[in-house]
This record gives sequence, C-alpha cells and structure tokens, in this order.
Amino acid sequence: MDESWRKAKAVFATLSAPPVIWLVVFFLAPLAIIWGYSFGNNKSLTEIAVDGTFANYVHAIKPLYMGIIFKSFWFALITTALCLVVGFPVAIAITFASQRSKAWLLLLIMLPFWTNLLIRTYALMAVLRTEGYINLTLAFFYNGLSRLTALTGHPLAMFQPLELLHNNFAVVFGLVYVQLPFMVLPLYAALDRLDRSLLEASLDLGAGHLTTFARVVIPLAVPGIISGVLVTLIPSVGAYLTPDLLGGPSSQMIANVIERQFKTANDWPFGAALSFLLMYMTFLAIAVQTILSRGRRGRREA
Amino acid sequence: MTDTPGPLEYLRRWPIRAWLAVVILYLYAPLVTLMAFSFNASKRNIVWRGFTLDWYRAAFADQDLIVAFGNSLTIALISTVVSVVLGALTALLLWRFRFPAKALLEGALGLPIVVPEICMGVAMLVFFTEVIPWPTSLAWPLNLGAIIISHISFSFSFVAIVIRGCLASFNRELEEAAKDLGAGEWRIFWDVLVPHMQPGLIAGALLAFTLSLDDFVITFFTSGPDTTTFPVKVYSMVRFSVTPEVNAASTILIVLTVALTAFALKISGGTVVAVEAGEGL
Amino acid sequence: MPDGRPEPSRPASSRPTSSRRSLLAGLGAAAAGISLGAAGLQGCARREKIGANGEEQKLNLYNWDTYTGKTTLADFKAATGVSVRMSLFASNDELFAKLRAGNPGFDVIVPSNEYVTRLRIAGLIQPLDLAKIPNRANMMPRFRNPPFDPGRRYSMPYTWLVLGIGYRKSKMDGVPDSWKWVMDSDRYAGRIGVFSEADDMIELGAKYLGYSVRHIPPAVIDQVADMYIRQKPYIKIFHHDEGQDLLLSGDIDIVMEYNGDIAQVMAEDPDLDFVVPREGSLLNSDCLCIPTGAPRPDNAHRFINFVLDGRNGAEIYETIKYPTPNAAALALMPADYRDNPVIFPPANVMARCEYADFEGLDRAHLFDETVTRIFAA
Repeated sequence: MDESWRKAKAVFATLSAPPVIWLVVFFLAPLAIIWGYSFGNNKSLTEIAVDGTFANYVHAIKPLYMGIIFKSFWFALITTALCLVVGFPVAIAITFASQRSKAWLLLLIMLPFWTNLLIRTYALMAVLRTEGYINLTLAFFYNGLSRLTALTGHPLAMFQPLELLHNNFAVVFGLVYVQLPFMVLPLYAALDRLDRSLLEASLDLGAGHLTTFARVVIPLAVPGIISGVLVTLIPSVGAYLTPDLLGGPSSQMIANVIERQFKTANDWPFGAALSFLLMYMTFLAIAVQTILSRGRRGRREA
Repeated sequence: MTDTPGPLEYLRRWPIRAWLAVVILYLYAPLVTLMAFSFNASKRNIVWRGFTLDWYRAAFADQDLIVAFGNSLTIALISTVVSVVLGALTALLLWRFRFPAKALLEGALGLPIVVPEICMGVAMLVFFTEVIPWPTSLAWPLNLGAIIISHISFSFSFVAIVIRGCLASFNRELEEAAKDLGAGEWRIFWDVLVPHMQPGLIAGALLAFTLSLDDFVITFFTSGPDTTTFPVKVYSMVRFSVTPEVNAASTILIVLTVALTAFALKISGGTVVAVEAGEGL
Repeated sequence: MPDGRPEPSRPASSRPTSSRRSLLAGLGAAAAGISLGAAGLQGCARREKIGANGEEQKLNLYNWDTYTGKTTLADFKAATGVSVRMSLFASNDELFAKLRAGNPGFDVIVPSNEYVTRLRIAGLIQPLDLAKIPNRANMMPRFRNPPFDPGRRYSMPYTWLVLGIGYRKSKMDGVPDSWKWVMDSDRYAGRIGVFSEADDMIELGAKYLGYSVRHIPPAVIDQVADMYIRQKPYIKIFHHDEGQDLLLSGDIDIVMEYNGDIAQVMAEDPDLDFVVPREGSLLNSDCLCIPTGAPRPDNAHRFINFVLDGRNGAEIYETIKYPTPNAAALALMPADYRDNPVIFPPANVMARCEYADFEGLDRAHLFDETVTRIFAA
C-alpha cells in the first residue's frame, strides 16, 4: 500500500528532512554524548574523560545494582498486573456505555493524567498518612463500632491506624494511581474494535457472561492488552518521584539510584552506564514482545 | 422499553457500576483533597483549621510563581505547535513511503519514550552548555529556547504515534480520486488529508501541550534562574513544606486544564477523546 | 433487539470545512491570548535599569527554601534599588549539578561548608573582594577562619547548624540523648526517622561508634552499614529534610534533624524538643558565595554585605530561627532566641561537634554505594 520513496522524491524530501534533522541534532546527538560518558571516567570534579573503558558497565552489573533493577521490574510487574485487573472492568464499562456517556467517562479517566505528577503524589500522601483520609474513615467506623460493643461491656482496644505510607504498599498504590489511565485507554481501544455480534452470538448459544469473556473477549483483546502492558510497564520501571516521595527504607528503585549518581555522588559516567543498561533491558523486553506477537500472528494466519 | 439491562449493557449492571465508582473515587480523592486544602487556614498542609482565600491571594501576588507560570505556558505553546508540525510530517512520511532504513527511523522514534528522563535531562544540559551554548541573557522568549527544544524533542514522537493511528484509517482511494480530478500534492494534503487527520492533530496537540506543561525532570536540568517553569518552581516549594499556596496554584492549573480540554472537546465534537483513547494514550 | 449497540459515528473526513476554519480560528485566538498574557507578565520581569555600578539592577539568588527574612529582599531593594529574584534548590548536590556545566545566571549562591570546598576545587566560585564586604567584621571570631575556607576568601557565613535528635516528649522514656535510639535500638521501632543524606548518615554513624567524622576507616564504614541494615526494620522513613514536618504531624516520634528546623516546629507544638546526643555531632554552615561567571558581581557583593549587617541579619534569623554566626545580629535578637538551648547548644555539647570535610570523589562514591547497599537490603 505504501509507495516507494523514489516515486515522489520532492514530497519525500519535504516530509523527511525536518523530523530527521531534528531527531539527529536535538535528540540523538545529546544522547550520544551521554552514551560516550558511560565509557569514561571522572578526571576531576567537573571533567569527564571518555577513554572507552567498560569499568562503569562492569560496576553496573554488580549484584547490588542488578538486584535493584530486577526489583524495579518486579514492582512494575505488580503495578501492571494490578492495573490490568482494576482497569479491565473499567474499560468494559466504557466500551459498552452509550455514545454520550463514553466521551464523559473517557474524559473522567484521563483528567487526572493531566495534572502535575508532583502535586498528585503529595495529594496521595494526604490520603495515605497516619491521619489521612483512609485512616480517618476507618477510625470513624471503628470507634462507632467500639461504642456499640462498649454497651455490652466489652469495648474494643484503641484504634491502631494502618501503616499505609512510606512503604512498598504506598509505592505500588502510587504507581497504579499514575499508570491506570495508561492501561485503561489501550484496553478500551481494543475492546471498542470488537465485533459485537460475536459476543451476542456467544451469549445466544448459551455461554454465560464470564465464559464469553474468557473464551471470546480476552483472546480477541490480546493485542490491546499487550499494548497496555507495555505502556504501563516501561514508565513504571523508570519511576522516580513516586518511590522517592511515597516509599519507605526498602523501596528504592533504579531511577532513584541513577538520580543519586547524577547529583549526590557526582558520578556521571556511572549514572550514564546505569541508564543505558536500563534502556538495553527495556529494548530487550520490547523485542521479545514483538517476536511473540509476530509469532502469534503467524500462527493465526497459518 | 424494558428496564432490565440488555445483555451487553454492562454499564447498567450494579457490579460494574460499583467498580467504576470505586475507581473514580480512587482517582479523584487525592485531587479533591488537594483542592479542598487550598482553602485551609493553616500554614502546614496537615490539619484543617478553617476556610480562607489567603492562599489564592498569595499565589496571585507571588511574582515569581506567575512568571514561572507564564514561562510554562509559552514553552508549552511553542513546543506544541512545532511538535504537531514535526509529528504530522513524520506520520505522513511513515504512512506513505517505503524507504531503506525505515525500520531504523521507527526505532529511533521510539527512543524518546524509552529513555529515562533523568538521562535525557543531563544530556540536554551538557548539549546546551558544551555543544551549542545557549546564552541565557537573550531577550524573552528566546532565552527559553533550550527548554523549548528539549520539550519538542521528546514530544513529537508521541504526536507522531497519535497522528499515525488516525492516518491508518484513511482510504487512499480518496487521494487517488483527488489526483484524478487534477489536484496537486499540496491541494491533496491541505484539503483531503488534513481534515481527516484533524482529530489526530488536536489529540496530538493536547498531548504535546500536557507533556510540556507537566514536565519536570528534563526542564529542571535545562532551566536557569531567569527561565523557571511552573513544575520546577512547585517542586522547590514543595520539597520542604507544602504550603497551601502551592495547592491554590495547582487548583488554578487543574481548572485551566479542564477548561482547555472542554474547549478542545467542543470544537472537535468528541472525536478527540476517541482518537486519544484509540491510540492508547 | 438489544439497544446496547452504539450508533456509528460520522467519518471525520466528511466534516464540513467551516468547522475546520472555526477550529483554527479558535485555537489561534486562544494561543494569541495566552501568549499576550504571558508576554504582559514577562514585561514586568524584562530588563531592569542599569545602576550606578554599571550593572543591571537585578540579582539572581539561589537559596534554600524559606531561608530569608520576611522583608529581607524588599529591604535590599529599598536600600540599593536592586531587585532580587530568589530561586530555590533542595540540596547541595542539586546546586552543584546546576553549576557544574556552567553558571546559568546566578549571582549569589548558598552552599553548605563541604560544598564550598567542592565548588572551590572545581573552580565554580570566585574569590570575594573583601573590600566590598566591610560588614564581615560582624562575624563571630570562631567563624573567621574555618577549616573549609581558610581566611574566608571564598565565602561568608550565613547560618550554622548542628544535627541532632528531635523528639516528641510525651512519647519518649526520658530524654533520648544518644544516637543509639535512632541507629541501634528497637525501643522506638516504627517511629524513627533518619536523614537520607549519604554523608550525614555515615559520618554520624561513625561518631556514634566513637570515631571522628573525618577520615573514617573503611572497616568502620562497613560497621556503620551493617548497623543501619540491622536497624532498618525499625526505621519508619529516610526523610529528605522534611523530618520536622513528620515529627509535627505525628508520623514519627524521634528524628535525626537540624536544630534550626526543629526550633521552627517547636514554636508550633510545645510537646516537641531537641537534643544533641552525647557522642557528639556534625557541624554545618551554610555560606554565601559568588559563582564564577556571575553576571552582576558588584550587586552580589552588596547583597552579601547587606545580609551581614546587624539589623538585616536580625530580621532574617528572627524568621528562620537558625543559629547565627553574626555577633551584631545576635545582640539585637530577643532573649528567647539568644537563650534558646536548641538554637545555641551549650559549649560542652558544641565541643564534641565537628565539621566534615570533602575528602575526594572516591570517598563520595564509596559513601553513596554504601547507602545504596543499605537501602537495598
């Protein structure tokens, strides 16, 4: 369907020149400098000598740092799984809503995405704190219950607020909070393209709703699911503000370590090496996904 | 018309409704707290002490905050315009042509999404001090150039993806029909392709605008004292103690965003939302 | 027939051109409006007049948050006609990272003592013209020749601080006057806050174990790391200098923090107190420096001189409640500041506190890796 570039050279040149030049000069060039740094070392407090050394990468593959990278992937995986579970019914709800409600619901889901991340994270802290919304609501009900049981002469023990902040729970809570719209939208897009008659046929043939979902909807929505997973997983791995503000002593993720290299430790070559290592691993994940999806398409066409 | 929900009317079933309600509560409770506390009569953002509009007065009187806000808007505007142009060109290029190294270009376009922001920020910092020194004493808005260029670099890939999705549904026969009727390349582009791309253009513009307005990490490294943006200013205010002045400023920003979105929705008749959703963004 | 089927939407390409034009017009109007508004705002911040000293009547100050008096900047403008724009940074390494590749336009910066050394070694700050700072005579004698800037050639002292333990009296068994309660004991499990600065953590750990904060032997660093790893289950949060807020809000009851920060929240909650542990602690001093390449060095000198004046200084310390190195300002402060044992710990306590030193990049990397190890455990 697409034509060869030779057929309309002038148009091709007009279309390709600006983006390619911009990409090379203002994106690839700066990135290449940092890539070069990852092969350098600190000559002094402010100078870096690029001498082709692999020492930074060797340092980055140490168990300490690889452990942190894997932990970040693990957090991201949990976040993605939760987003999938929470977001799927939401996507269903929007897909099958009336045309007018659809736009409003989509807007409702996307609006938080447009507010400043830092502000949103601080707002989350107010919800999760020892005296935050969740604990206050729980305390209200608990104390009410306690007053009831006190009538029978057995009052309950003092309310212990839940530890919801500054731990891994808070980090995952925050990550899901940020990434949920990114999961709902691809799911919605995939579900929206579904042929409704297939669903109706399945229901007519006597399959219940859950069976229809398991056997008909989910297999057809797989490309949307994969797309949503990728779009949620990759930013979660590189998340920095959320673990920084909401996390506890053991919640450090790889982006926090990288940030420290560029600031406190003043070790830019090492920070560069860690960043690129993370990027290589992300590319690997995407490549695996592409191969798998091509394999599936091949199998289906076979 | 019966009142029991049809087999596919999932939204009318109470379990789905309950789930949706909980999710929306989850997404909005923190924002509502944020806005509520902008009226709190206490310096520290922790316990409610009474209603006041002082923080809004303080926010409007804070010259630095307003200047930072103005900078953010300017950067976002210029960045959006250029990103949409570049993104549209890229999308058209990839949609229409087959050429050697096409896969390479597609891969390169995926990079801005994958690169850790802090890496990008440091890269831009180094680039604009060592390779192309950008003098900070230029007149406004030229002194914002480094930040604007950085923002464009990471947004136009996203815009290209959105527009590309929109182009995928374009029927090439329309183009051929126009050519048969004697239209030149430019006419075809402006009168046939652009209207079709319109939801994609608007959706892409909205996306680029938000990405720019909200960006913190990359802007932090490329900004200086005379070129602060709103998120950078907020970050420094919020680092130590969140005074409700920040809440007030954020509430204003949220209201502005909502207004802008409503405006965009109105002119495009709802297809913007569908397109953005369709691109999984 | 189920009516859950959505209506097909109109194809976009059949949209009439009039709506496209109105769209463009609308967007254009909005864009123009916002731009003009922003331009108008910027107009206030455009070029200032040139003053008598040949420099623009402007000053870019890079400072910590809430670290000037309420009227300091306005007073400076009234006295000299120079308007100050203050940008904020949250940590010394943020300051360093910003300046490292070149000065983006700051005239006066406020680094801590160790970073004065780093900036000096890296050539990022310039020597001060002491003739332009006659108010330096107001400095207390013990700040005239600090180890990190002999002869005060590159910096003038702004505040000094000491790290210690802030605590909530009603939740403590007595006065927790040892680092043990923060670093090495489960008495207050789940209620402890520790500073997440790599240097501070390790240096204070060494102090607790009886060593000096300078030239810590590597074996001791490992000991400190193991101690923190053992203590981690009891530590609630590694904070970034908002420890006093967490203490005030009741999230934690005992925290490693600066005396000035705790003094500020003590004014809001009488149940809070501060103590410098008996093993001793770290001294810090935030200083005023002029970065290399400052566009308006003369204004910068005038600002530094202004701040070192007794009355202006008093106004600052009244607001921020940090200990002052300015004898003239101290004389003007109210008694509840001068006699406050939190702000000015007694001499015997101060004798056990020392400044840390910048000991080279390798040491900084070692500290950071140790802390990464602690956090990852």
